[in-house]
Amino acid sequence: MIRTIRHITLWAALALSLAAFVYSAGALYGIHQNNDLIRQLVSGKDVAVNKVIGGEPELRLARAFYFKQKHRYDEALSTLSLIMDKSGRDFQAKARYNLGNLYLEQAMQQAKAMNINEAMPLAGLAKQAYRQSLALNSGDWDAKYNLEVAMRLLPEMDRVDMPDDELKNQKSQLWTTVPGFPRGLP
Amino acid sequence: MRILLIMVLSLLGCSGSIDEPVSYFNVETPRPFGYVNGDEIPQRIIIETRSGISLQPGSLPVKGQINRWLNLNRVTVKQTGQRYQIDLLYQVFYAPLEVKSLTLPGFTVQLSQGEKSISQNVPAWTFTLSPLRELVVRQSEQGEYMRPDSPPPLLANTQALYGLAASLSVAVLIAVYLAYLYGCFSGMSRRTLFKRTLRKLAGLSEADMEQALTVVHHALNSLNGQPLFLNRLGEFYRRNPQYLQINSQLAWFFNYSNRYFFSDAMIAVAQDLQQLKELCEQCRKIERGSR
Repeated sequence: MIRTIRHITLWAALALSLAAFVYSAGALYGIHQNNDLIRQLVSGKDVAVNKVIGGEPELRLARAFYFKQKHRYDEALSTLSLIMDKSGRDFQAKARYNLGNLYLEQAMQQAKAMNINEAMPLAGLAKQAYRQSLALNSGDWDAKYNLEVAMRLLPEMDRVDMPDDELKNQKSQLWTTVPGFPRGLP
Repeated sequence: MRILLIMVLSLLGCSGSIDEPVSYFNVETPRPFGYVNGDEIPQRIIIETRSGISLQPGSLPVKGQINRWLNLNRVTVKQTGQRYQIDLLYQVFYAPLEVKSLTLPGFTVQLSQGEKSISQNVPAWTFTLSPLRELVVRQSEQGEYMRPDSPPPLLANTQALYGLAASLSVAVLIAVYLAYLYGCFSGMSRRTLFKRTLRKLAGLSEADMEQALTVVHHALNSLNGQPLFLNRLGEFYRRNPQYLQINSQLAWFFNYSNRYFFSDAMIAVAQDLQQLKELCEQCRKIERGSR
């Protein structure tokens, strides 16, 4: 009886491990194909949309990278916005950095064309994206550098090294938020 | 009288230090220079209190934006007995035009002893921040120089590879074991025939000669595939020619066995057993291929 059970267990384990082998081989093949698509996009060749839709976040990031290279900013933005909260911290930091670059490049183009009103909100969005990227990965030198580019493009004007000023600001803010008593009533 | 007064005063002085609610307070910060835009600055505050005094976590700075250029990313409090270790992780976002002095704001930590509240000031800390860009900005083809996009990472295949290797090894191991159970490795057991015989012989003495001879007979029969006798040795050598080199020893074995089992008053001596073992040693060398 025990021998029969052992035999059946062994055969079942063999079938299970073979199934796991087939599954892993399939997964590896899928990864290989996706990596080929990513390489193709990075080298500047487009791929079929249906391969990207529903694909891995890395593949979509590669497609956004491709759009940005071709200056198709709107498409790059819509692709990036879908993957902002996907995958791990490093990936999110990368996606936010690339999003920041997308905004900053447009802001610089607008600034060059002297469209300051269009450039300012774009630079603000770029700064926000870089800040988020650096909060996720503070060791990214490219994000630090480009954040400084964006900050020079759209300087933040209030004084920061005078704590007295800040205190006064805070106080005045505090007073404006306290509702006043109605006057002039009998 | 004067000495007594001095003693009383000194005792009062001592009792004052014992009553201090905070017995140890220290703020540990890294170097105060060499930071750039986006850097994280850790600050560790260590407070040791008298027993019965506890820290009010609500008095610590809240995670989030402190001011326009400073964020507090993490606040962790570790308590071991009456020792509190507060770790703060600030991140600075400021783009100075030259090396600039900035200050991490101080705050007050509240400690409570029952109804009573005690304050402990954490002083502000000043450090310098350096710019990353030059004043006269470098120009590239697109305009102002900026760092390029981060290339998309390739998908990691390590997990799939590990899965593949692990499942394959398990499958192969199980398959080999099943093949062994199904008798696919009959040649392997033939290769260890005399090894097992030698192991059995090692535990026997000349008093167990009958058993020893049976064991060797059994090994030779297994090797031959059928019972082996003296008159069938020629046939055996045809199938296993490598055993021809120990022909004399094998002949001795069969003769000795015949005499032992079929003649009376045969007494086995230690030398016979030794000779038997030597025969097995020779057979073992042949089956291993070293002779």
